[in-house]
Amino acid sequence: MEARDRADDFIPAGLASLGLEADEVDLAVMGAAHQLFWPAILSLFELDTGDAGPERGPDLSRAPARR
Amino acid sequence: MSVLDLTLGGQAAAVASGEADPAELLEAALGRIEERNPDLNAIVDTFPERSREMLAAAPEGPLRGVPVAIKDEWPLPWRAQRFGAAQMFPPSSPGESGPYRALRDAGATIVGVANMHELGASSTGNTSVYGPARNPWDTERCPGGSSSGPAAAVAGRIVAGAVGADGIGSIRFPAAYCGLTGLKPTFGRAAMAGHHMAEVSTTIVSGPLCADAADCRLLASALFGEPLAAGEARGLRIGVVRDAVSEDVAPAVREACEAAIEQLRAETGGEVREIELADIEAASLATVLIANTEGLAGLTPSGLRDLDPDLSPIARGLLKYRMLLPAAASVKAQAVRTLMRRRLAALFDQVDAIAWPTVPAVAPPLEAPLVELPSGTLTADQANVRGAGLANLTGIPSVSLPVGFDDGLPIGLQLQAAWGRDELLLDAAEALERATGRRWVESLPPLARQPEPSGT
Repeated sequence: MEARDRADDFIPAGLASLGLEADEVDLAVMGAAHQLFWPAILSLFELDTGDAGPERGPDLSRAPARR
Repeated sequence: MSVLDLTLGGQAAAVASGEADPAELLEAALGRIEERNPDLNAIVDTFPERSREMLAAAPEGPLRGVPVAIKDEWPLPWRAQRFGAAQMFPPSSPGESGPYRALRDAGATIVGVANMHELGASSTGNTSVYGPARNPWDTERCPGGSSSGPAAAVAGRIVAGAVGADGIGSIRFPAAYCGLTGLKPTFGRAAMAGHHMAEVSTTIVSGPLCADAADCRLLASALFGEPLAAGEARGLRIGVVRDAVSEDVAPAVREACEAAIEQLRAETGGEVREIELADIEAASLATVLIANTEGLAGLTPSGLRDLDPDLSPIARGLLKYRMLLPAAASVKAQAVRTLMRRRLAALFDQVDAIAWPTVPAVAPPLEAPLVELPSGTLTADQANVRGAGLANLTGIPSVSLPVGFDDGLPIGLQLQAAWGRDELLLDAAEALERATGRRWVESLPPLARQPEPSGT
């Protein structure tokens, strides 16, 4: 199945799964956010991060440990 | 000239030498708020008696008797923060936040709470429960967000320094839009206690917004709890990235930033090196994903069914959308964080600072925050996050400096350095100020050029 960025499936299903209601304005805002973020999220999933698994408890005040 | 129009350091020196009476300075600052704030909506709350009490108890610190503002993101002992919103998650309460303690212990007087974008959720500052703050350079333009009020207050010379917070560029965007110097410190270096996200956020820091680098150094020293030594940025190796994202900026912004980079190189006797830094857009998205999901533990479906009706429609919709973001995206974002931290660590062996425009275009209209770029029309938020997220994602320090104007609106250059090298960024900023004869840091918006009938 092909990945899709259409909000009219994803958002109502997501809201229903959480038991949330949304009015037309909510849906319009969420739809705009989805069109903006979802294609980028799909691209992010495909990004090759090599062996860069998340650092365990990274200390963001310092450079990462040299490998 | 009023003492209020001196720099933060100048005001501190005037008080320390006895040349200025701090009580008169405080009253003058309160008067300046009454005079200029109606145009700017930068300050959303004042508490003159509390300010006077703070002054009366002020220790002999480096900021004794100097009026400052603090963003509506930090609790004070007498006031809970509102985060620019009708409702917060979790609810806030009064208290001694880290920045409050830092200012108090430095002897500063908090003269007002500064406006911010609702829930800290935009680079524009055009939405707030208090109404938007306005850009002193053009009050129909965005001041930048989310630290909109701190920037408008300093650019409007209501105060010489203000404390903001930066989770995805929220100090640097308004610094750029308002023609200020704004420092996003290395993660963990500046006071954060008492912030409602302090225990969970890996992107947010407190930091100073001031006219120039020396004032940022002074205010940052208070926030860091240690003096930031001044030095000379000699032989600065400046890295520049030339890719589709970093080149997609308005022509006037690009020209001003390139000119400033060359001036900085010449002033420091350094060099400019082209560097490769791939996946900046992925890093930006990773920052947005991390910053927007770290607080989700406090957000519940039942809470979302009972949102305050005075939250803006955008905030209501985005809060609900956040709950739908897949956990796998957050995990991937953390992998991107690791990747970018490793890449930056390697790059900072080759260069001392990485330079690119803070924002790709000058402040857009409040009513329609869109920017025209070579690639087309984008929302300001879409465009701005590209250049800002990396520092929050990786923890490195970053500073935005004023470097020119486009059609009367300020342009900002961003410098980023390795972890813990905040001082170097301020040294470089001061080198650029010398190279430009302080032309940009001393430029005043029309509202701040008005003569006053009497001076303190």
